[in-house]
Amino acid sequence: MSTPQVSRRNFLRTAGLGSAGLFLGLYLPDAAVAMVMSEEEAVAADVYTELTAWILIKPSGQITLVSHRAEMGQGVYHSIAQIIAEELEVDLASVDIQFAQGNEKKYGSQLTGGSSTIRGAYKNLLKLSASARQVLIMAAAAKWSVPVTECYAASGHVIHKPSDKKFHYGELVVDASKLQAPKDVALKPRSAYKLIGKPLHRKDTPLKTNGQAIFGIDKRIPGMVFAAVERNPRLRGKIKSFDDTEARKVPGVTNVIKIAMGVYDMDREGVAVIATSTWAALQGKKALKIEWDDSGFEHVNTPEIYRKQREVLKTEEGRLLKTQGDPNGIINRSKDILDVVYETPYQSHATMEPLNCIGHHRGDTVEIWGPVQAPNWIQDYISKKMGIAFDKVIVNMTFLGGGFGRKALMDYPHEALVISKAIGLPVQVIWAREDDITQGPFRPGISYRCQGVIENNEVSAVKFRTAGQNNDHFRSGDNGKANRSTSEGWLKPYFETIKNISFADVLFQTPVPTMFWRSVYASTNGFAYESFVNELAHKAGKDPLAFRRQYLKEERAAKLIDKIEEVSGWRNKGKTKGFGIAITECFGTTVAQVVKVSKKKGEKLKIDQVWAVVDCGWYVNPDIIHAQIEGAIVMGLGAATIHEITFKDGLVEQRNFYDYKMPRLTDIPPIEIHIMENDSDAGGIGEPGLPPFAPALTEAIFDLTGKRIRKLPFDMASI
Amino acid sequence: MIKLKNLLKGHTGIMRIAYIMVIMLSLVTIMAFALHDDHKPVEHEKKIVVVKDSVASVAAFKKVYRVLMSPRCMNCHPSGDIPLQGDDSHLHTMNPQRGVEGKGVFAMKCANCHQPTNTPGKNTPPGNPNWHLPPANMKMVFQGRTPYQLAKQLVNPKQNGNKDIKKLIEHADDGLVLAGWNPGEGRTLPPMSHAEFKKAWITWLTTGAYAPKNNLTFFQKTT
Amino acid sequence: MISLNINDQNYNIDADPEMPLLWAIRDLVGLTGTKFGCGVAQCGACVVHLNGEAVRSCVTKVSRAQNQKILTIEGLSKNNDHPLQLAWNEADVPQCGYCHSGQIMSAAVLLREKPDPTDEDIDQAMSGNICRCGTYPRIRKAIHMAAEITRKGGMAK
Repeated sequence: MSTPQVSRRNFLRTAGLGSAGLFLGLYLPDAAVAMVMSEEEAVAADVYTELTAWILIKPSGQITLVSHRAEMGQGVYHSIAQIIAEELEVDLASVDIQFAQGNEKKYGSQLTGGSSTIRGAYKNLLKLSASARQVLIMAAAAKWSVPVTECYAASGHVIHKPSDKKFHYGELVVDASKLQAPKDVALKPRSAYKLIGKPLHRKDTPLKTNGQAIFGIDKRIPGMVFAAVERNPRLRGKIKSFDDTEARKVPGVTNVIKIAMGVYDMDREGVAVIATSTWAALQGKKALKIEWDDSGFEHVNTPEIYRKQREVLKTEEGRLLKTQGDPNGIINRSKDILDVVYETPYQSHATMEPLNCIGHHRGDTVEIWGPVQAPNWIQDYISKKMGIAFDKVIVNMTFLGGGFGRKALMDYPHEALVISKAIGLPVQVIWAREDDITQGPFRPGISYRCQGVIENNEVSAVKFRTAGQNNDHFRSGDNGKANRSTSEGWLKPYFETIKNISFADVLFQTPVPTMFWRSVYASTNGFAYESFVNELAHKAGKDPLAFRRQYLKEERAAKLIDKIEEVSGWRNKGKTKGFGIAITECFGTTVAQVVKVSKKKGEKLKIDQVWAVVDCGWYVNPDIIHAQIEGAIVMGLGAATIHEITFKDGLVEQRNFYDYKMPRLTDIPPIEIHIMENDSDAGGIGEPGLPPFAPALTEAIFDLTGKRIRKLPFDMASI
Repeated sequence: MIKLKNLLKGHTGIMRIAYIMVIMLSLVTIMAFALHDDHKPVEHEKKIVVVKDSVASVAAFKKVYRVLMSPRCMNCHPSGDIPLQGDDSHLHTMNPQRGVEGKGVFAMKCANCHQPTNTPGKNTPPGNPNWHLPPANMKMVFQGRTPYQLAKQLVNPKQNGNKDIKKLIEHADDGLVLAGWNPGEGRTLPPMSHAEFKKAWITWLTTGAYAPKNNLTFFQKTT
Repeated sequence: MISLNINDQNYNIDADPEMPLLWAIRDLVGLTGTKFGCGVAQCGACVVHLNGEAVRSCVTKVSRAQNQKILTIEGLSKNNDHPLQLAWNEADVPQCGYCHSGQIMSAAVLLREKPDPTDEDIDQAMSGNICRCGTYPRIRKAIHMAAEITRKGGMAK
């Protein structure tokens, strides 16, 4: 997947289309990068013309579409192309796809996080693709000297209707790139879509069934060497001294150096072993003898963390994020308060592809190749940290073997560049699985104090307080405000019916670095808040689904509830026990899930089935949605019942998949997924399927056994 | 408990005699090589003398049982068809199955992970060229067996792979049995040396392979 | 020099005999379809066939594989058309895709030994392969599909 040569001479002139700044793809190169090739030369060499930032066409007709975001399993590599192909009128099968380099000016934010790619870009992509199609039609009409209205586009060609004459796009692209698209290009109505909304096969699938897909770890650069780094296991400490005698004896090891990798505002010290193969580097790393300096910060213990969180939640009001009515007043005068604490664990992202990155420090310019979620953040961070001009930080994306938020951090690209700078060669740093599990950053473990008052079988007040690490503090320090994601996951329509409610965040800090983890705060908030909704429903003597119908009056939510009730069999379940429901919203998408459990005497608790209903508004590919929801449920299952990160004396107690265990094929219940059809704006898909699973499961267990689980993870075998 | 102890004390003399006989027996075996026409040494049929001594036998089996029920032995002699793992003898992660020959099934054959030798490092697969469970038709379950049950099972040709006393004695030096004493980094060893185990094993067999009565005291761990 | 036969091609590599086959294949031979996931035979991302068996190349020393027949994902079929590859594509199994070389190589042994596997067979064959994206339901579905493709005369190796 080499970057095609691009003629930057000509660009689609669409100025005035849409509001400036929102309409991307209008990137105009500065003179310095303009192609030196003449038009004739460019045609003869069959180089690409960049019709927009996302659409490259060769004179021969070959079309390449650009994925400006990271592909980590969520399907944007395909979905972006599926959107463009619709309005551009090209056959999806015949186009190539390439990853963009980091370039925020050209593509807007490339941070692949917050399930933002499609919902953030689809309107722009539709518009620029339609504009590109329109100028191609205009170019053809001009060549034929016929009215534009007599021409139309189909399958990568412009056809003159009356005469059936046709040009392929390659024959038109150079002319088209000089034209200005009309201001109001008509977009297709949804009903006219031939591609969008269809469960088309992913274009990256074939690459992933024969070893052809190049992940970061597979990338090779001429002259590159390999490195593995032993970092301070207490996540913050420094190095007192090290002995590399044995490491240097490992065949293939060429160098050993002390380095520091930037993680947010701190520098984490480590010893890098450089070698001619990955294995030699890993062996050399094992042979290092290092004495660490672990002074100057707290060595955390997991039981302590949760004891302290409970303590501050007992006494402190925290920083208010949202409040309405007078929840405190009602709670203070009430004699019957539902007052419970939920606990959620620290988690590792544990992407299947361990962290890795190639860095090449060339002095004024630095370049990285790797599985990265946030090319622009890397550019920004490296630029500041290493004193390199922003534009001279070149970031090349590969396929990602999973991301889940971890690969949006800049630490491992920085580390690769630090080593490359020291040795003067391109170097691929690889993290062993043990590094991946023990080094973090982790999803923060958060405790939630939930208080509620039921009067006359109705909710009169709800008060939520959270105590857990705020990811933002690691980026920019404590800003004195509540975590802005304190209510993430909570359904907004509840604010209409629960008149007295508040969300607050009690400051809680540890030296453990934390990072977004799939569905971010909703992944833990959802468990606490939706479990609490279930507890409130029971206290009010209401069926948990009926309770939600009563308290979620907004139209989309109501339809979602109807649908989950219908598909899960809730409506006709009668006295059958073992059903649990939860509904959460994050990143613009609401997901309802019902879990059904059962238990035979002497056997382990069994999840019989999971039903999920997704309301994500406008969508591209229903099969990708199904896949994402399935995957999110499996990941949620692992986080709720199988694994957690714990600390003892500042050290992570888990090391690899033998003690940070993963769900396996045999653990997976049948999963049935439905998508709501409506014309609302697109919501995210990669993450929103995760949060409702844990509270739906624990509610199902409560329904079956009367046992309320308020701490994750829990062992299904213990039920 | 007191009774059993007293009994054992009273019979130490007999046990000593039994050991001496075993040692003599092996000396006889070593001397029994003879040169045949083809000038190759051939071992004569071993004659194993069994001197019945129920007390010595039971005492020896107590040691044998402790070894066999240690994780290093029991983990591959599970009651189900999934081996056990670790010093706590939990079900083997990823549920590998015994299969007909005891070598796993499909993509989950023992030797796919368990190499001819131990893989270096903690929590890595221990190795042996012949890593396997007992086959499906001869499961030789240790897990959950009482001393009485296990003793009976070990000497029952229908359950032990048709092994006579000679083959049973030889089995003490089987490669996989020996692997228990080379378990790989981070795993506890059986509760006594292989030599001590072998001695107890032979003693037990050559004193009549008595099965201890299912006495609760037998299960009490002795160090 | 160690001689490896990978996908019917001979490679002579200068490797420490202790080097895991995984790194020999990836770093020395240059076939990167086989993946590193855990290094301790826990996840199955590194599964290749050694004389037809689905060994975990991260713990298999290159000395064990010397002069034996090794098959990697790149050699499973010439045109990405092994029944499992066809089924994987039909069901769009992969998400991030990282584990699927190993998943497919494991499933290939299952199908060879049990051309029409039951769900229980699939459980027994595939529980050694971890997928963090959670594609398990589709893995199961695709293995059944591959059996069907084979039955109907699709390309089988």
